[in-house]
Amino acid sequence: MEPLAKLISALSLSLIITAYLIIEIKNLRYATYVNILQALLMCSLIVIFAGQNPGLYSWALTVFITKVIIIPFLLLRTIRRTGALEVPPVIGYFGSIIFITLIVVILYRVTHRYVDFIAPTPLATQEPFRTNLAVSLALFIMGLYCILVRRDAIKTVLGLIILQNGVHLSLVSLVPLLEETGIIGIVTDVVIAVYLLLYIIQGVYQKFGSTDTFNLKGLRW
Amino acid sequence: MDREILYLLLAPTLTGILIFIFGKKSFLSAEGPALLGSAITFGLSGWIFYYTTRGRILSFFHEEFRVDALGGLMVGLVGFLGFIVVIYSIPYMRKEVAEGVIPSNKIHSYYAWLMLFLASMLWATTTNDIYLLWVIIEATTLASIILVSFNWSREALEAGYKYAMLLTVGITFALFGCVLLYAGSSPHIASGLSPLKITEIAKVAGKIPQSIALLAVILMLAGFGTKAGIVPFHTWLPDAHAEAPTPVSALLSGIMIKVGLYAVIRTVLIFYSFHSIISILVLILGVMTMIVGIVMMFLQDDTKRFLAFCSVVSMGYIFMGLGLGNYLGIYGAIFHLINHSLMKALAFLSLGGIIYSTRYRKMSDLGGLGKLMPVTAFTFYIAALALSGVPLFNGFVSEFTIFLAGMKAGHLWATIIAIVVSILTLAAFIQATARIFMGTLPENLIKIKIREVPIAMWGGEILLAVLCILIGIYPQVIYPVLHEATKAVFAMMPMP
Repeated sequence: MEPLAKLISALSLSLIITAYLIIEIKNLRYATYVNILQALLMCSLIVIFAGQNPGLYSWALTVFITKVIIIPFLLLRTIRRTGALEVPPVIGYFGSIIFITLIVVILYRVTHRYVDFIAPTPLATQEPFRTNLAVSLALFIMGLYCILVRRDAIKTVLGLIILQNGVHLSLVSLVPLLEETGIIGIVTDVVIAVYLLLYIIQGVYQKFGSTDTFNLKGLRW
Repeated sequence: MDREILYLLLAPTLTGILIFIFGKKSFLSAEGPALLGSAITFGLSGWIFYYTTRGRILSFFHEEFRVDALGGLMVGLVGFLGFIVVIYSIPYMRKEVAEGVIPSNKIHSYYAWLMLFLASMLWATTTNDIYLLWVIIEATTLASIILVSFNWSREALEAGYKYAMLLTVGITFALFGCVLLYAGSSPHIASGLSPLKITEIAKVAGKIPQSIALLAVILMLAGFGTKAGIVPFHTWLPDAHAEAPTPVSALLSGIMIKVGLYAVIRTVLIFYSFHSIISILVLILGVMTMIVGIVMMFLQDDTKRFLAFCSVVSMGYIFMGLGLGNYLGIYGAIFHLINHSLMKALAFLSLGGIIYSTRYRKMSDLGGLGKLMPVTAFTFYIAALALSGVPLFNGFVSEFTIFLAGMKAGHLWATIIAIVVSILTLAAFIQATARIFMGTLPENLIKIKIREVPIAMWGGEILLAVLCILIGIYPQVIYPVLHEATKAVFAMMPMP
């Protein structure tokens, strides 16, 4: 394996590990710090890809500004008001490990055996884009998993951010020639969505006294 | 270069921003600009509606914005209902403040978000860029989150949280779909033409590999279908519709879910002539939506949730029409889209009148209001008759068109289900109207002095009711518009 491919694999693996840590760390503040780390890893990964496609440098900058600076700032501000201890989840760390390992293995197999099915361009079927696709889909599903099984509302927002990171990363392989304006549009949406969600969650905290989504059961049918 | 599109988008956006900055002083400083801004928007959208539905295609900024007859129809609906809702909101929101439901210093943010919400919907229906379509449809969600939770009660916050979370996650699937669509079509688009434009993608739809096309369609159906309230992605819809202030419910149900539908028409239907399985999928989704919607309608006690599930049923009809794939089916779907916008807005606004006067909204708390609120009762009856597809009202004509199209396309099973659902809707509405307006006043209402709503509220309702009856009795008025809109849909569908 050439050194660049090794680096990409290492970074991809650390992205999955950080996602796991974000899901499992009970202290929301530390989880946010890991989230910053994940965004930094994403930036470096995009920078490596930018070696082949210089247009990606500006993507890395956009990711840095929004995901390393703005979103963690919003999160930490909310956590300061609502407290850093997470509401205990539905499925603990042991179940998560099994589920996430399974997902990563399956996705790796799928993206390597059936890559033609999901990759729209011939370039995306090659390495390192193939690995990148597997990792981004894994992040996407881990984000969904986090939203579904964690009870804490702020943790679900962190899950949403993992999910969006996955989407964002997949764009590197799928549409490397997308103009910067498209990326800015997508990222702005994410930032505003996180801002408004946290605003609503603060309201939930005011009215319910906690950020436990299990309290949100008034509207059933 | 048709600059009208630019003005159309700028008018509500700027009004919204201005209200945010300067609207805090008094009620009037927020209501005045909102009224003016929405009136200008209404005028411009009416102008665009008039020209596009006569076959002209407006475009702006190198075709980044493009309004054909279908887009013009949507623009017209947004402008019209937006204007009515702003007028309606003035007495309604003042009463909410007087009752202490909403603090008076928040009223300007209501109008500001309302204007931004309108702007986002106008933008979504005028853009011709596959990414912007996604970005703006997400923006319509973002602009309405605060409106949904505006009462800031426990239920409203719960609805807002679910709404934001579900729609943001759901629409992300559509992003994947759009990405695949763009990446799959870009090798086939001649250099010099932008592969981001929906019109260009539509031209090469047949060249996109089948696996990628199907995957993209499924992802977009899930994503935009969440926005449109299609089963099984509809769970946000009753919560949001019920907990938002009633004028906002009218907008959510009247147009916002149709914006998701518009995105489906623009992106999914271009593959119809290449992969026939897609139309079957849309048809099945439509029938499923209908069935779930009608079952849930019978279980509701809350009137607003009742109407919300009625929207689910109607989206089922529209999806069924689209899924039939023939000219008549799509014609009927667009017809029902317009009719449903008018009658559902009417139903929600009439219901808002009841909530305005009584402060109750559960059927078990209401009763005997027919004599005390004759105008509201009348408009609600019209809406109920139209929604349940009774002849001489607009809902009947469009539902009947979809039934005919179903027969013609040979999907007898779907047509029979749709007819049964239509009859059951009538039963559900008879039950609901009887419980709300007939019988004797329950005890909790005897204590309150119940009055008819002010003209700012019933004026718009009467206008909508007249339109519902007019289209029901004399549907020919709208045929040319529908014909142009259906032609615009087929113009985007390349033939193999």
